[in-house]
Amino acid sequence: MLLRLRTLVKLIPALCASFAMAQDQPTFLRDIAPVLNKAGCTSGPCHGSAKGKNGFKLSLRGYDAQYDYEALLYDLSGRRFNRAEPGRSLMLAKPTMEVAHGGGLRFEKDSDYYRIIYRWIAAGVPFGDEKRDAVTALDVEPREMNMQKPGESVQVKVRARFADGQTRDVTRDATVESNTPDVALVDAKSLVKGERVGEATLLVRYQGKFQTIPVTVLNPKMGFVWKSEVQNNYIDQLIDEKLKRLKIQPAGLADDATFLRRASLDLTGQAPTPEQVRAFVSDTTPVKIKRAKAIDKFIASRAYTDHWTVKWADLLQNSRKYVGEKGTFGFQEWIRESIAANKPYDKVVRELLTSRGSSYDEPAANYYRITRDAKPTMEKTTQVFLGVRMVCAQCHDHPFERWTQNQYYQMSAFFSAVGLRAGYEVGEEILFDQRANYDMKHPKDGRVVKPEFLMASAKPVAIPDGPQRRDALAEWLVSKDNPFFAKAIVNRVWSYFLGKGIIDPVDDIRASNPPVNAALLEALTKDFTDHNFDLQYLMRTIANSRTYQAAITPNEWNQNDAINFSRFIPRRMSAEQLMDAVNAASGAKAVFPEVPADLNASQFPDPHVGKEGFLDVFGRPLRESACECERRTDFSLPQALNLVNGRTISDAVADPKGRVAKLVLSGKDDTAIVEELYLAALSRLPDPAEAERAAKYLAPGPRATRAQDLLWALLNSKGFLYIY
Amino acid sequence: MLNFLSRHAVRNCDADDHSPTRRELLRIGSLGIGGIALPHFFAWQANAANAAAAKYAGSKNFGAAKNCLMIFLQGGPSHIDIWDPKPDAPANIRGEFKPIPTKIKGTFIGEHMPMMAQALDKATLIRSMSYTPSGLFNHTAAIYQMLTGYPPDKVSPSGQLEPPNSADFPTAGSHVSKLKPMKEPVLPFVELPRPLQESGIIGKGGAAGFLGKAYDPYRMYQDPAETVKLEDLALRKEIPPERLRDRFELLKGINGSMRELEKALDQQAVDEYYGKAYDLVLSGKARDAMDLSKEQDSMRDRYGRYTFGQSLLMGRRLIEAGTKFVQVNWPSVANGDPEKTAWDTHAANFGPLKNLHCPKLDRSLSALLEDMDQRGLLKETLVVCVGEFGRSPRMGVSTSGNSNSPDGRDHWPYCYSAVVAGAGVARGMQYGESDSTASSPKDKPVHPNDLLATMYYALGVDPEMEIRNHLNQPRELVKGKIVNGLFA
Repeated sequence: MLLRLRTLVKLIPALCASFAMAQDQPTFLRDIAPVLNKAGCTSGPCHGSAKGKNGFKLSLRGYDAQYDYEALLYDLSGRRFNRAEPGRSLMLAKPTMEVAHGGGLRFEKDSDYYRIIYRWIAAGVPFGDEKRDAVTALDVEPREMNMQKPGESVQVKVRARFADGQTRDVTRDATVESNTPDVALVDAKSLVKGERVGEATLLVRYQGKFQTIPVTVLNPKMGFVWKSEVQNNYIDQLIDEKLKRLKIQPAGLADDATFLRRASLDLTGQAPTPEQVRAFVSDTTPVKIKRAKAIDKFIASRAYTDHWTVKWADLLQNSRKYVGEKGTFGFQEWIRESIAANKPYDKVVRELLTSRGSSYDEPAANYYRITRDAKPTMEKTTQVFLGVRMVCAQCHDHPFERWTQNQYYQMSAFFSAVGLRAGYEVGEEILFDQRANYDMKHPKDGRVVKPEFLMASAKPVAIPDGPQRRDALAEWLVSKDNPFFAKAIVNRVWSYFLGKGIIDPVDDIRASNPPVNAALLEALTKDFTDHNFDLQYLMRTIANSRTYQAAITPNEWNQNDAINFSRFIPRRMSAEQLMDAVNAASGAKAVFPEVPADLNASQFPDPHVGKEGFLDVFGRPLRESACECERRTDFSLPQALNLVNGRTISDAVADPKGRVAKLVLSGKDDTAIVEELYLAALSRLPDPAEAERAAKYLAPGPRATRAQDLLWALLNSKGFLYIY
Repeated sequence: MLNFLSRHAVRNCDADDHSPTRRELLRIGSLGIGGIALPHFFAWQANAANAAAAKYAGSKNFGAAKNCLMIFLQGGPSHIDIWDPKPDAPANIRGEFKPIPTKIKGTFIGEHMPMMAQALDKATLIRSMSYTPSGLFNHTAAIYQMLTGYPPDKVSPSGQLEPPNSADFPTAGSHVSKLKPMKEPVLPFVELPRPLQESGIIGKGGAAGFLGKAYDPYRMYQDPAETVKLEDLALRKEIPPERLRDRFELLKGINGSMRELEKALDQQAVDEYYGKAYDLVLSGKARDAMDLSKEQDSMRDRYGRYTFGQSLLMGRRLIEAGTKFVQVNWPSVANGDPEKTAWDTHAANFGPLKNLHCPKLDRSLSALLEDMDQRGLLKETLVVCVGEFGRSPRMGVSTSGNSNSPDGRDHWPYCYSAVVAGAGVARGMQYGESDSTASSPKDKPVHPNDLLATMYYALGVDPEMEIRNHLNQPRELVKGKIVNGLFA
């Protein structure tokens, strides 16, 4: 007994020591910073605002613990703490409203938050040690959630791991958010409830670290039997794998005419001609083969080059507003040639980034003339080529991503030596590397920031300190080892064919915005790099899949799915597609004084042509931003007014040299005229009922007028306005 | 849908001469149901109206407004310099301007508003607008709060609001155009002459959000001081009305035979837009309303020959033509160059107010009130003139995180002013009073939601009614109290 007591007494100091470490010695890093975040002190509208609040500033969402600690300690000559009487410290009196606080009551005196801050002040406000107290990782439970039906609930548990190896349950202080609250709803205690069938991602954040948790709420309906649809390539296998798991039955193939119109518009921007349609639907070659041939033909066409030149000129913001008229034409030609030659994508981007010399001789140099300064050039480069948005990190660390403010400047530093000066001809500029005074400075303390890559790639790339540093960036960026470069373009191209990225939006790739089908994105990316960044190969692969060729027809199992590509989702034609399709169907030609009369809308150099007219009403981008979202695809009242009563369609159907006029003069009978107009406008033959109704309309009145009306109605129909 | 009782109801409550409009025909055609849906709709409308009328029985102001003209001074005008002078406050608060008397006994306003001082006998001046922002504290958030009645809930990682999207709360005009549908072919909701905007985020708080795009405003984003191009609004001369009717008949048939596509697109409101376009083009009224050349030169001069003045004149013409809700936005952007036009006077306050903004606001707003009064339009039109917030009484301090010049004023939602008139609102009255520095209301505070609730109420919409968002969750139309004290 005595012995035992003595042993116990001996043990007491040791116990106390460890207890003190864990409990009695709170540190700023481990215990206090999380409270400042959870209580809202560091939020944007409060002290986290760029200028702070009422003279007291903390870093936004507490990304800079050292700064926040010093702000607390040294501002107001340390009046925030009263170490003798911790309860009289401003840091406790303010948030409990003992003294007036603009931010109101943040926590009660009788709360854990109050007690921990009290103890911390009493202990002498220790900062702690990054090597011991910093959070190194989060362990979340569960790693994924699969609910069998809506209405189920699952609790999220979060443990923080610290640098010294200790862990702590931080569920209460971590933030859990759902990206789709109508599927998975999170309550204040991080209990997740399945609201309806579908998928969502939870983002768990604590002290700058985050984890995501995928949530699936399954359809509880009984009787699902998987019905195999044709699988044309690995895309369909990977799509089907996931659909099967989610009890979603995909749609089957669309019919030939529908496929031909869809693929033609998506690959070339133009609808197929009546002759193409007739030939294709009557061709008896097996479906898969004849469709593959049609896809090859589209890719080899001149219209393919036009169509993809528009897309790339949008993203690269080619506009006379930035580079002048001649500059615009030169840059457009450069883009055209790259697409026509199917130049490997990595090569195209390398040429843009390493361009030097006269903007007239080296049109790729216009890339730098559009954004001009290092920072916007860096933001554009990362958004367009990596799908990463760095813009928030200019002022503070990215709150939901690992990008830091330092990285923003390190990446910008690659472009800090880019110089522009006037050339010898009017409107010419020379792009050169500055030899002095090109250092990138950090805005906080003016220190020189050396260029550094956003993340390391498998094969290290050396960065020279001199003005040619952007060449190293180009090498790193377009490398097969870069985890973002190929993925970003594959995802973007996918969205052009399926209406939505596998990661969506396509230019906001981050860990907290995960792909809807990671295996598919990975496979496509690998296939693309294995084929030497061949964009035509990528498009061919996508266009040949059943997933792309699927019908729009919903079934009882896929009718509520809008994200897993289980059927084709119709999209409105783009402004340029619409205008060109109206012209092609009507045989008329809208003339724009700024460009040669034979150019169609997909060949216009920039949004200066036809400004504020039809094209702008239908959402053509002004090329003022590198964001994919600048092009609008919705439908609106002004658009309806324009289609019903505007000049574009009204003039086109009544054109004296147009299709209607020619058809009427040709003396063809009503059935032939109806067929021809259906083919021209909707790229398909009318079914018997449609043919009869249309012929009945033509019969009584003056033929030219009646035929114009028919074409007008076809051009206003949904079957014309939408790619389906 | 097929409810014969509702058919019955329409006979009791509605005139018989309302044949379905083309819009209804299109929609009905696509559903394959003969002319039943429309009477049902009118019956539903009548039922809702009856319930609200019963609730507000005996109140002569409920539904007193047939329409509403909202003048939105985006940028945040300085209330203390314009509407609420404090000559006895310290120099760093009272500013450079002197007060002048108005037609409201005992009420003084800033010296650069002399015409409005005379026109206030037709309006009520509210001096106790006030709210505390929750979340973001910038123009976009404040505009969203003012016009939707809800604080923005989703802030993008960049600290800006997300661009407008289909989950947004609807702007007031969208609610009104949905809840008070019009039988006549007019544009129900027109916004001019430019969108609401702060920096890169355009149109937040100015769209139909979860009501669907069909209730978006018709966006007349052109300068009414120049000739506006509106060829889409007038029937083309080679297309007589019968021919347009024939064309729509054909179109209905073509769409109707592609049922799967119709089904896949039923969220896109294509038919609704086509129906509206049809009605508008046939009537031609909207185009006439926007044709300012039909006005006398003297009238155009009285409103002021600049964008804002001519926008108000166009607004009055649209109201006359039957438009339910007209929103005129101050035609320059928040965060624009304060030396030029914007109300956002961080960097320079007094010079621009004195030389540019006040003279325009003074001339045009007074012209509008006088003109509408003379035409009898104030009887049934509610006019509201307000910004998203006022400006800090103390000069040169930062309240929003922006930097301010020593004579600049920062954002101040805690106290500001509004002018309201028409539809039973008291004439020549001041409502509410601010404290000695115009920093907060001394009495009768009016939250923006209260102002919205009062607008809805005046327009015959029950502000307490339940609406459904995009997820079909019930929400209040607005969480505000009707300010009965505004009415005479």
